[in-house]
Amino acid sequence: MARAGGITNAVNVGIAVQADWENREFISHISLNVRRLFDFLVQFEATTKSKLASLNEKLDVLERRLELLEVQVGNASANPSLFAT
Amino acid sequence: MELEHPTATPLNSAMTYDEASMERSKSFVNALQELKNLRPQLYSAAEYCEKSYLHSEQKQMVLDNLKDYAVRALVNAVDHLGTVAYKLTDLLEQQTFDVSTMDLKVATINQKLLTCQIYTDKEGLRQQQLLAFIPRHHKHYILPNSVNKKVHFSPQIQIDARQNPFQTRTRFQSSGTPAAKTLSWHLASETKSTLKGSSHASPSPNTENPKFSAKASGVFHLLDNEENTWMKSSPAQIYFPNGVPTSSTPMHTLGGTGKDALEGSKPLTAFRSFDYQNRRETVQVPTRSKSVLSAFFVKQKTPKLKAGSFL
Repeated sequence: MARAGGITNAVNVGIAVQADWENREFISHISLNVRRLFDFLVQFEATTKSKLASLNEKLDVLERRLELLEVQVGNASANPSLFAT
Repeated sequence: MELEHPTATPLNSAMTYDEASMERSKSFVNALQELKNLRPQLYSAAEYCEKSYLHSEQKQMVLDNLKDYAVRALVNAVDHLGTVAYKLTDLLEQQTFDVSTMDLKVATINQKLLTCQIYTDKEGLRQQQLLAFIPRHHKHYILPNSVNKKVHFSPQIQIDARQNPFQTRTRFQSSGTPAAKTLSWHLASETKSTLKGSSHASPSPNTENPKFSAKASGVFHLLDNEENTWMKSSPAQIYFPNGVPTSSTPMHTLGGTGKDALEGSKPLTAFRSFDYQNRRETVQVPTRSKSVLSAFFVKQKTPKLKAGSFL
């Protein structure tokens, strides 16, 4: 009778250990994927900032060129006789 | 109907483009809003799971259910994040494209403006060329620099000659020809006088000219006074026969050729004696007072002799 009780205890311990291992594996898997997600977000942020900066620069240059053209067109319209001739 | 189509199509295309861009913006905003709303949901789910696990008696079953829910929630969150990222990237690309298009349009306008400016400049230059009158001179009236210099140089020479005609004459005189003539003439006259004096010493003055006899008497007086000095008597003799050669020269020429040979040899001796006499005179003149009288006498004689020679 004592032998039967000992065997049962061992089986129970084994089952418990297996369950704990599975839980730990699940946790590590979840944490790894979360870290990958974090890395993706960081990279996406950097890329997006770079694109925005480039776009901002282009807009500034375009604005300056437009101002210059406005001035030139204004001068031309102020002296229509030149274009009329 | 045909005219309406080309006018309507660009408007429709513009509207469709604007609508598409607006739709993209709206979808991005909606996705972002959903992602923001997902956060409180996850927090509430986490609290519920914690409470159910603590208060439930069947913990294993609750744990399994919680695991499944967590996985699904995480997947949902990742899906939302992916959607938002994609839409944001699409929006940025669209904006970049729009900016590039605008840049090209501005470049086109700039090029057109430059073309207009170039055209106006050319027209202005053409008008200036037509209006400006550039005078042109005939080649005949245009002289090179070298010719101009020569022309400027030659009038100066003429002016110099005109301003100082006497200087030119003096230069001509100073060239040396009159001195040479006078010297040769003097030497010839001396040679002739010596010959005539030696051949016809006494009869010629008495017979031919009374003026010369008076001169001769004067000369004799000088000789009597200056017997001591033979040097001074010699130039007197030289000057005395100067008047005689006018009468005696034709006789010699008519006489014969032998005398000509003697005349050819004698000028050398006369020249030598003349040099010797000049040296002694220069040395002795300042010491004696009588030399002054002889010089005065000589000065008086010279114009008379010259007058006789002219006659």
